[in-house]
Amino acid sequence: MEVTETQVDGTLVIAPRGRLDSNTAPEFEQRLLQSLTGKPRLVLDLAGLDYISSAGLRVLLMAAKKVKQGQGRLALCELQAPIREIFEISGFLSILDVRATRAEALAELAA
Amino acid sequence: MALEQTFTLVNDLSEIPRLAEKVEALGEQGHLTARQVYQINLVLDELLTNVMSYGYTDGQRHTIDIHLNLEPAARLTAVLSDDGRPFNPLEQAPHAVLEGELDERPIGGLGIHFVRTLMDEVHYQRRDGRNILTLAKNLDPE
Repeated sequence: MEVTETQVDGTLVIAPRGRLDSNTAPEFEQRLLQSLTGKPRLVLDLAGLDYISSAGLRVLLMAAKKVKQGQGRLALCELQAPIREIFEISGFLSILDVRATRAEALAELAA
Repeated sequence: MALEQTFTLVNDLSEIPRLAEKVEALGEQGHLTARQVYQINLVLDELLTNVMSYGYTDGQRHTIDIHLNLEPAARLTAVLSDDGRPFNPLEQAPHAVLEGELDERPIGGLGIHFVRTLMDEVHYQRRDGRNILTLAKNLDPE
């Protein structure tokens, strides 16, 4: 799995590529934790994410809880269709801020 | 003619990408949709990750046998067999919490929820010191 990080007007955009499964989730969790200090303002762009399992969803849930504790903001965007369906089955669409595009997610956090 | 894949994984999470390769190969041969391949892969990943993570306490190398069968009548069956401790995921896995606020959602329990939701049949038996899970999914045309 590859992860790219970009700063856009004070918002950190993290874009994982490839597979987020039990094999890669621990590494991604460590990477994400480093960005969740203080009062984080974070967009997770999942355009390049081809696969996520419950191990990956667990990391996203952990991140969302940490962001909330720190009174930060988190939005997710650009979910591929099968991944969006898994979010739906997991009941994640009602607890996470999921936007269609990166631009929408950035606009939401800047508001 | 039915398409089949029989393979063995060792109890190490680094094997999970190999599982994906096998499912993708079968999906390609059987002209499954990307969505179907994803869902089959996810269910098998969840069950095998569980076995690899919690099934063994002796620190030894074990093998898990997997047999996939894609019937022409648009039905996939999978048989997973491992020699880990007795574990029936249908009864012993925690239940997922799918509603409520962020703070009320436990971290865990989603894996078996996917198995139940995405498969049409799941059957567990303990036989000859092995856990044997048989799963079936009807592959309706999409």
